[in-house]
Amino acid sequence: MIQITETEISLDEMIKRARSKDAGAMVTFLGTVRDDGMERIEVEAFREAALMELEAIQEEAMSRFHLIAAEVVHRTGTLAVGESILAIVCSAAHREEAFSGCRYIIEELKKRAPLWKKELGEKCERWVGQTST
Amino acid sequence: MRIMVLAFASFREILGKERVLFLKESATVSDLLEELAAARPAFKEAAFDDTGTLRDYVLLMVNRKRIDPTQDLSRPLQEGDELAIFPPLAGG
Repeated sequence: MIQITETEISLDEMIKRARSKDAGAMVTFLGTVRDDGMERIEVEAFREAALMELEAIQEEAMSRFHLIAAEVVHRTGTLAVGESILAIVCSAAHREEAFSGCRYIIEELKKRAPLWKKELGEKCERWVGQTST
Repeated sequence: MRIMVLAFASFREILGKERVLFLKESATVSDLLEELAAARPAFKEAAFDDTGTLRDYVLLMVNRKRIDPTQDLSRPLQEGDELAIFPPLAGG
């Protein structure tokens, strides 16, 4: 399942969906809000385009690494330090494929999915990854 | 012709989330960006450098497919096209 949501991520539910009798390994990745001197972040998505891109990345990962299942959930909205932004769960027959598939999904998501983060603090705010505007 | 413009992140703060522009037939991506720059000086300052060149952190999609701003600004738009403008991606 691919999901972009304003509600809290349930890693347990994702793991349940990815479980399979053919899987010998499940790898999970949980991205969380790091304290870089701000109080919270806002996550924004070009929802329709991001879902299309995430589905393409999921299909590529499934095919390249022979995954049994790949789940991706990305949060949007306002998140506090420590909250989860992104969760990925990959299941495969063996750990190598599960690790590689999970790594592929996070790296491609960062390069290709139209999502943005704004750091918000008491005195300043800035869009992550942008030099100016 | 009618073109839907979507803006995200810092460009949404300048242009608003979406707006419809009516352009002459055969207008290009570049024509549309110039129209936006003329209407919103803050967009002109954010998107173009002093020589009028599009800044390299301005990313574009036409109908939800990325285009290359170094090659595709002369691409003609079609009635009903959707152009998305946004800064570098930062998901995850």
